Amino acid sequence: MIKLRDVSKIYCADGHALQSVNLSIDAGEFVSIVGQSGTGKTTLVKLLIAEERPTDGQVEIGGWNITKISQKDIPQLRRQIGVIFQDFKLLFKKTIKENIEFALQVAGEPRQRIKEVVPRVLDIVGLAEKHDRYPHQLSGGEQQRVAIARALVHRPKILVADEPTGNLDSINTEEIIEILKKINSFGTTVVLVTHNREIVNHLKKRVVTLHGGKIISDEVVGKYRL
Amino acid sequence: MLSFLRIIKFSLQDIVRNLSLSLTTILILILMLLSINTLIGVRILTQEAITSIKNQIDVSIYFNAEAKDAEIGEVKTYLSSFPEVLTSTYFTSAETLAKFKEMYRDSPKILETIEELGGNPLGAMLVVKTRDPKDYVKIIKALSVPEYDTIIEAKTFGDTEKAIEKIQVITNQVEKFSLALTSIFALISFIIIFNTIRVAIFTHRTEISIKKLVGASNWFVRGPYLVESLLFSIIAVVISFGTVRFAARFSDPYISAIFERSGILTNYVNSHIMELVGVQFAAVLALTFATSLLAMRKYLRV
Repeated sequence: MIKLRDVSKIYCADGHALQSVNLSIDAGEFVSIVGQSGTGKTTLVKLLIAEERPTDGQVEIGGWNITKISQKDIPQLRRQIGVIFQDFKLLFKKTIKENIEFALQVAGEPRQRIKEVVPRVLDIVGLAEKHDRYPHQLSGGEQQRVAIARALVHRPKILVADEPTGNLDSINTEEIIEILKKINSFGTTVVLVTHNREIVNHLKKRVVTLHGGKIISDEVVGKYRL
Repeated sequence: MLSFLRIIKFSLQDIVRNLSLSLTTILILILMLLSINTLIGVRILTQEAITSIKNQIDVSIYFNAEAKDAEIGEVKTYLSSFPEVLTSTYFTSAETLAKFKEMYRDSPKILETIEELGGNPLGAMLVVKTRDPKDYVKIIKALSVPEYDTIIEAKTFGDTEKAIEKIQVITNQVEKFSLALTSIFALISFIIIFNTIRVAIFTHRTEISIKKLVGASNWFVRGPYLVESLLFSIIAVVISFGTVRFAARFSDPYISAIFERSGILTNYVNSHIMELVGVQFAAVLALTFATSLLAMRKYLRV
């Protein structure tokens, strides 16, 4: 599903953000990518969504080599990968329903399908009754649930979550992780980037540890070891 | 088609939900258009003043008392054949005397001298007006030939030549100054509009990057801002032009008292409505479009 071959990323001459990273993630896996700040976790996410291009190596998503993806094709890629961010990245001048609808509208989905899908997704994340609220009227946990709903609305085969619980308290963190587990149980590949020890140890799933831009461990059922 | 309708919907939604930013942008566009239109108004009035001064200049050709009507008629026909000549008005010797007396009615000594001479010592007169004061030189030159020496007594142009030259210099300078001022204001307007749109786009930078991350194409992101630019330009041009028309109607009675011609500004606005609205709309739209596209370029690289 996701393949990185000898991927390196250099932002400036004096250091590698990622160095010869080889990683293969199969369909339906739940992989946690852990590491301290500045170890290249976010760079890895940026490579997966083509926000950055690798300096060396190849990135493949679902058989699609996106190493040198053209600007024109990037939207197509992003409509196939669900992404959630630490800062939620919601459109603050749109209601939560409009935020989710927007992800379908950009893909040119017909109005009727949007009308059917959006309430369903809102229901899954438990925000059906708050559909007409604006993001600033919701708690952090609720905002992250909106972001998850938006990421899910395309029924992506891959969900990338970049520090999704970084701004949340423990109760909301637990809720979000439960939602991610549920999504994974439906067959979606989940890539969770985090430095939250508790979450990783509790998940008992595959853990890839990054340090200094390199993978230093990759365990099928791993623990947070830094 | 569906995407186009969505782009329009998003742009209208954005205008309403960012109302203060939208109103500020429109207000700045209106103010810039008004300042340009004010300068256009000043230019029109300057031109009017120059034309008015030029119209007051003429050259009088005094004929000898012995000059025959046929000879004078020949000179008149000859002068009328010049494309530079606007009018040539013939005054008989009696009319010339009456005009002379009218002109010097406050100078009793001159009038007494005329009386003492007895009869009418003045000949007929031709008053010639040209399109431009500088054309008088050509007219005078055309008349300064030996065959007319015997019938032309005097030409007043010699007395007013220096004044005309001075007026010519002043009017040229005024025209240059008003053109320079309009250009400077246009440049200032360009910079202000450019920065206004840049600031408006800057406030949307996070939104732009989020839209890109969600999978929107560049044109789907750009679209609403371009539609907004179009709507802002239409609203600004309509309001500023409405204000200009109102201001022209309001000012015309005061202006007509100075220039002795009514409806100068209103007539100009009405007769140049397509150029004024068209050029200003095209300029504002091109500027807002170009600025939006330029300002967004950076934020679309996500």
